Amino acid sequence: MMQPQILLLKEGTDTSQGKPQLISNINACQSVVDAVRTTLGPRGMDKLIVDKKGKSTISNDGATIMKLLDIVHPAAKSLVDIAKSQDAEVGDGTTSVVLLAGEFLKQIKPYVEEGVHPRIIIKAVRRSLQLCLDKINELAIKINKANATEFHSLLQKCAATAMSSKLIHQQRDFFSKMVVDAVLHLDELLPLNMIGIKKVQGGALEDSVLVAGVAFKKTFSYAGFEMQPKVYNNCKIALLNIELELKAERDNAEIRVDNVKEYQKIVDAEWNILYQKLQKIHESGANVVLSKLPIGDVATQYFADRDMFCAGRVPEEDLKRTLKACGGAVMTTVHDLNDSVLGKCEYFEERQIGGERFNFFKGCPNAKTCTMILRGGAEQFLEETERSLHDAIMIVRRTIKNDAVVAGGGAIEMELSRMLRDYSRTIAGKEQLLIGAIAKALEIIPRQLCDNAGFDATNILNKLRQKHAQNHCWYGVDVNKEDISDNMEACVWEPAIVKVNALTAATEATCLILSVDETIKNQKSGDAPPAMGRGMGRPM
Amino acid sequence: MSLLFDEYGLPFIVVRDQEQKQRLKGVDAVKSHILAARNVANILKSSLGPKGLDKIMVNSDGEVTVTNDGATILKMMDVRHQVAKLLVELSQSQDDEVGDGTTSVVVLAGALLEQAEALLDKGIHPVRIADGFSMAAEICCRHLETISDEVEVSSERKTALVEVAMTALGSKIVSRCHRQIATIAVDAVLAGIKMADLERKDVDFELIKVEGKVGGKMEETTLVKGVVVDKGFSHPQMSKELKNAKIAILTCPFEPPKPKTKNTLSIKSVEDYEKLHNYERKTFEDMIGHVKKSGANIVCCQWGFDDEANHMLLQSSLHAIRWVGGSEMELVAIASGGRIVPRFEELTREKLGSAGIIREIQFGTTKDSMIFIESCANSRAVTIFVRGGNKMIVEEGKRSIHDALCVTRNLVKDNRIVYGGGSAEISCAIKINAEADKIATLEQYAIRVFGDALESVPIALSENSGFPAITTLANVKTLQISTNNPHLGIDCLKRGTYDMKEQRVIETLIGKQQQIMLATQVVKMILKIDDVIANEI
Repeated sequence: MMQPQILLLKEGTDTSQGKPQLISNINACQSVVDAVRTTLGPRGMDKLIVDKKGKSTISNDGATIMKLLDIVHPAAKSLVDIAKSQDAEVGDGTTSVVLLAGEFLKQIKPYVEEGVHPRIIIKAVRRSLQLCLDKINELAIKINKANATEFHSLLQKCAATAMSSKLIHQQRDFFSKMVVDAVLHLDELLPLNMIGIKKVQGGALEDSVLVAGVAFKKTFSYAGFEMQPKVYNNCKIALLNIELELKAERDNAEIRVDNVKEYQKIVDAEWNILYQKLQKIHESGANVVLSKLPIGDVATQYFADRDMFCAGRVPEEDLKRTLKACGGAVMTTVHDLNDSVLGKCEYFEERQIGGERFNFFKGCPNAKTCTMILRGGAEQFLEETERSLHDAIMIVRRTIKNDAVVAGGGAIEMELSRMLRDYSRTIAGKEQLLIGAIAKALEIIPRQLCDNAGFDATNILNKLRQKHAQNHCWYGVDVNKEDISDNMEACVWEPAIVKVNALTAATEATCLILSVDETIKNQKSGDAPPAMGRGMGRPM
Repeated sequence: MSLLFDEYGLPFIVVRDQEQKQRLKGVDAVKSHILAARNVANILKSSLGPKGLDKIMVNSDGEVTVTNDGATILKMMDVRHQVAKLLVELSQSQDDEVGDGTTSVVVLAGALLEQAEALLDKGIHPVRIADGFSMAAEICCRHLETISDEVEVSSERKTALVEVAMTALGSKIVSRCHRQIATIAVDAVLAGIKMADLERKDVDFELIKVEGKVGGKMEETTLVKGVVVDKGFSHPQMSKELKNAKIAILTCPFEPPKPKTKNTLSIKSVEDYEKLHNYERKTFEDMIGHVKKSGANIVCCQWGFDDEANHMLLQSSLHAIRWVGGSEMELVAIASGGRIVPRFEELTREKLGSAGIIREIQFGTTKDSMIFIESCANSRAVTIFVRGGNKMIVEEGKRSIHDALCVTRNLVKDNRIVYGGGSAEISCAIKINAEADKIATLEQYAIRVFGDALESVPIALSENSGFPAITTLANVKTLQISTNNPHLGIDCLKRGTYDMKEQRVIETLIGKQQQIMLATQVVKMILKIDDVIANEI
């Protein structure tokens, strides 16, 4: 007798389960980790990724690479997510977090194969995370904010470490100063969008400048613009959200006129509406008029006639930053335009930078904002510079908020590894082996640093283990001398929060992947597989 | 990308459309990039220097371009390879920043990569090579500063400016009359900065317009201290010349004004229709009345006007130009010192521009005519009017003038110069080789080959001039070392001396430094890539 077939899931659904599934997931993660492995550290390399439209991106930033890889494997996707979350939370260490998660899984894989229950593994991983976090908090060195110059140089060191693996690492002293100055310009909340980054192709990296104030590219202009003055001292700025153009006041309105006199009146009325607006602006005493909406040719010529400067279609964020820098308010009507809502700045000019013309607002009274103008050869180069600076800015912001640092270059990982190994020997049971495995996994950071630089990793690691066993807790890899050094003294510093976040995220991802034992993947709608086997009315 | 398999033989699909992606890893990736970049550099090599040759390019529409300008060649080549694209951008940014030296920068980058390949084979880590290169670039830029000379730049003493412009034009098709064109370019730039901008050293290229017209000889290229409008007077009966012109610059059309709001005018009777007709006529009269009252004798209008208005203008003996483009309007306004007027009602005497003479000139047997507005109140806005035998020459002439304008501007900004003909590169190469020995780490090798790469520019120069490249270079190099004179370079024009200072082959210091910095940057970026993931296109 034939058993009736029970169709539980839609045909074509991919299911796999049990231990093989777990192992398969781990392997998939490994292949993703391999893609970013070589980008770690000062000798890390970059990746060139070309998308479907032929746009190429060159990057060293883990999160960017993971995002562009367009990963579809369900388990491997969790690695992309942790890289993104690290990027969002601290901005730096995105490669390390992926690498750590991958290595945790790799070291645990033999135990899974031997049949240790995933729950036990998860418990051990969580336990070691807790131990690591306690250790970091205990070791981290608090910094003294009281001394401004010292604090400044400390922030610079953190920024320099974050930049050391990027394309711009030769100029890191230059940029780290710039980044720290930029962040210190901001108010208490350190809002990221108050640092504007503008890119202009051409020029050397060192030609990049930090403007304490606002700078933005010249907007589209109409005839008459060139006749406006381009320099002002002590100018007043009107920030508007009004369209200054001759246009239909209502889109859907229609006027019916039945005699010719009325016709002329309507034309005059339209002109008068615009002219009244312009006159109000002129009477308010503003020298510079910025508007988010277009400023038409009539208005441009009107302003030119009265020695005023105007720029229409200013991007919203630039307008906001101008508002922050110069004070005043963004007005949506001209009727209340008076001195109190006008922004002020000491110096305004339009200047050529490379092939572009830029508007500069300098000497602003409450400059809680600043603009970086980056220069560099190719477009991709500038984009990568921007990403690197973004990382550095995030690091500086984090350090200001959270003032504890640890030594980088694999030092803290080695110390945590030693601590976990010592601890594992004091406990009995399966956890001993598992915590030992985690301890080994942590060594991946210094190991990869060595591999990327072409050093003998085993040799360096042995030297490091020996130093850490003698309680020199800040010894890490010295990439320049192919040796080890005290990275606290060598000023390779990272905020403790980066490490805390990286370890937590990597652990979470590990636990997540370990706790999955079945994948049910719905077939993509649209491309049904060809009907198999069932041909000519015969059962399968 | 090849598929990966796990222990159980199941393939991983990690990345979307995995099979369709190409992947290149490690040293292979670096080497393939170097190959691509070198190919691009080799194409450009033959157009370097005064004896360099031009390229002809035909685009998909069958349009032909002949040029010697590196940036233009690369742009027209429509390169697909990602790394080659980087080189295109490199020469583009040199073009934006400096305007000249777009070929040399690519040749230099190609040579650097070629040298890097040899080091990679020796097993030196690409990042260390990149580090060495940027150290060397820094040494170079400092050295260039020490061998640079300062020249005096002012509107009276413009010899140096002209010489720089001449060097920039040396390799172009216009070299036949390059002194003339160089002088034109320099005068144009100086006219632009005459005003208060001299201390700001800001030259606005929007005020310098380059117009071209096919026909005539290249020697007939002129600098017009005013504006050239590619239009004729609106009515053929208007006289072709107008002295002491008072220009009304209008952005409103010569027609009854229309409201922007949607409208309908309903006409119910014949009288109404008559009224409308009279109204229209009256508006024309009013408009012309406004113009007359203000004292203008020529109207420059952004929009058109119909034949009726045209006729009325002629009757009231007003000249008119219609359909003038927005940017030209602006230039007319700047040059003549007038204001752009958006409404007839606002037209007053103060808002008129003035020009000494306005002429309509016809060319050869063609019916095309152009209007020259000259001897204006304010001579900041100038136009360079290029003539040439055919369209390609005129276009190339325009590009060459752009280069000349750029270098002149750079010299106005920073008045330091270095000498050309490869002399600066040779001098830097000698300096770098000396410095390399002082460096203890692995970067030493990279720095040393940087010097060799710099020599590729003089080598290409002498190759293109038909000299035995290596011998010539060796001669110059020994001479430089023995006489300690950094001004010795390749004598491409066979003037009988190696001394570029005597030959007056000069380039701007900024231009040279930019070349080296930009080339190094891009090379560093290419060397750092070890993994390429590309969708097959």
